[in-house]
Amino acid sequence: MLKIKDLKAEINGKEILKGLNFEVKSGEVHAIMGPNGSGKSTLASVLSGREEYEVTGGEVEFSGKDLLDLSPEDRAGEGVFLAFQYPVEIPGVSNINFIKTAVNEVREYKGLPVLETKEFVTLLKEKQKLVGLSGKLANRSVNEGFSGGEKKRNEIFQMAMLNPKLGILDETDSGLDIDALRVVATGVNELKSEDNAFVVITHYQRLLDYIVPDFVHVLYDGKIVKSGTKELALELEEKGYDWIIEEYKK
Amino acid sequence: MATLALTNTERFLINQEGQDFSHEAKTFIKIRELAIKNLKKLEFPTPKLEAWKYTNLREVAKQEFRPQSAINLVGSRLKSYLIPNLDAYILVFVNGFFVPELSEVKEDKDGDFIVTNLNKAKSKFIKLVEPHLGFLTRDKDQFFGNLNAAFSQDGAFVYVKSGKQLDKPVHVINLVDGDLVVAYPRNLIVAENNAEANVIVSYETLETKSALSNAVNEAFVAEGAHITIDKIQNENSNTFHIGGDFAQQDKNSTFTLNTIPVNGKLIRNNVTVDIDGEGSTANLFGAVCLNGDVHVDNQTLVNHSKPNCDSNELYKCVVNDNSSSIFNGKIYVNKIAQKTNAFQSNANILLSDDAKAFSKPQLEIYADDVKCSHGCTIGQFDDEALFYLRTRGIKESTAKKVLLDAFIGEVLDNLKIDTVRAHVEALIARNFISKK
Repeated sequence: MLKIKDLKAEINGKEILKGLNFEVKSGEVHAIMGPNGSGKSTLASVLSGREEYEVTGGEVEFSGKDLLDLSPEDRAGEGVFLAFQYPVEIPGVSNINFIKTAVNEVREYKGLPVLETKEFVTLLKEKQKLVGLSGKLANRSVNEGFSGGEKKRNEIFQMAMLNPKLGILDETDSGLDIDALRVVATGVNELKSEDNAFVVITHYQRLLDYIVPDFVHVLYDGKIVKSGTKELALELEEKGYDWIIEEYKK
Repeated sequence: MATLALTNTERFLINQEGQDFSHEAKTFIKIRELAIKNLKKLEFPTPKLEAWKYTNLREVAKQEFRPQSAINLVGSRLKSYLIPNLDAYILVFVNGFFVPELSEVKEDKDGDFIVTNLNKAKSKFIKLVEPHLGFLTRDKDQFFGNLNAAFSQDGAFVYVKSGKQLDKPVHVINLVDGDLVVAYPRNLIVAENNAEANVIVSYETLETKSALSNAVNEAFVAEGAHITIDKIQNENSNTFHIGGDFAQQDKNSTFTLNTIPVNGKLIRNNVTVDIDGEGSTANLFGAVCLNGDVHVDNQTLVNHSKPNCDSNELYKCVVNDNSSSIFNGKIYVNKIAQKTNAFQSNANILLSDDAKAFSKPQLEIYADDVKCSHGCTIGQFDDEALFYLRTRGIKESTAKKVLLDAFIGEVLDNLKIDTVRAHVEALIARNFISKK
């Protein structure tokens, strides 16, 4: 589904990703871990098409297409979804109109007809329930005045509504208490299928108790320096990152 | 040999001669005479005057604008100037002259309210008109306020008796037709104690290669009364519009003015609100969305003359192409106007490199126990919000529209009549798109 080869990217002339290789297949859940400043969020930004980052080398193939060639909206149309680490507040745009516009624009991209109001409402209610997002939040402005937990739930809710092939969760666990974490994880687990995949970017092992990854990768200095199974996450939790960094530097 | 050149003012006045107002009551003729006297002492405004710094009327001064009586307007053509699904008393004026056959006048049988043309009211309801007409435009320094006072042919007269309200809003449609025409529409709105009136005033064009609309709205808001004016300026790109909106408020009253300039060549609005009674609220809102070469200059003055009053002012502007928007808002707080709450804000979004926005918020405060704030912003899109929307599959063009709708929506929320809001939204949406 997703093949990243030798990806290099910089921001303001500073190279952050330095030849990253990574592959995700349908039905898989990958966790990307690593110390601060290793390039985790840069990877999420590059995959979602943030313009401040300049890709200087390598390629990213998504479902047979050159992902780097697509605008952010077309990437979403193709089925890439990024759950933001810091969801943006948009005053004056109601959450419900926002998600309705998004759902229908993605459908249009896929050549599907616009959802009838009734179908939309059914879908909306189902997905709100899935992530425990109260109906009140739907009528508020996008993320405006939402608590940290509500914002993250709203991200997962949007993901559920758009039903992407690849969901990238950028530090979705940061700032969440254990209950919110559980709700977010339940949402992801419910959405998981043979046809989609998730990349969970996290600093801590905690989230991986709830979203169990098939593979765990350690990102350091702009590269994946170690890959393993979920046991690797536990080892990192216990021993920290230093031993891997030492190993890498040798 | 000395040449006796006419000044711009003299030349302009000569072109306005020949209108016969002798049928009017003496009291109204006096208003005109005083205005002409004032005008003769005034220089035609130039950018040398601080109030006209960003708006140059050279082209207005140069052209030989003359009043012209109404040209035939048929009902079928009127349709395109109506607000869809709005149930209102419609009053139609062409070049400032009343068109009775396309208008619905109403004198309520219990005398609760009157909706008619001002000329009619000047003879039939002289006691209701006389204490108000021209009262707020007597400022001898305002060139265009005096001009309208001197030469206005007609306008709407809306009167609501104490404790009463209109049974539906009034929509005054002002049309301009013909070349080198000047129109002087003048509306007078009077709400007695605890009365309520909603008036929509729209300015549109039938056909013209060059025209000047010099419009005035005068509103008297008595104790406990509410007046709302929604002003929609949608004339063609050959029309200059210089308007004045004046309101005087007594105790515990509310006055709301929603100004929506949509199109024209050059639009200037002078808004003056005198809050002259305790416990009153003045709301001035502006949604200025422009493209092409449109130039809009909004000048507002809120006079807090009495204690315990609020004023809320919010002007939001989105300028595209070569258009320009000027906001110059002044809040004046008299030394006895303690406990004044005055809030003023002007936010601008520039959509192109050539669009311009000027903002000059001013506070002049002589009382010591007040809450006053003012602020302005000039910027572009919120890139983070734009990116966020795009990552959800929303096309860049749609995302921008969503953000602009939200930006301007904060102002449009003050349009309380749904059909008016829908109409305005449709007009404005066109201006988000470049004309180029």
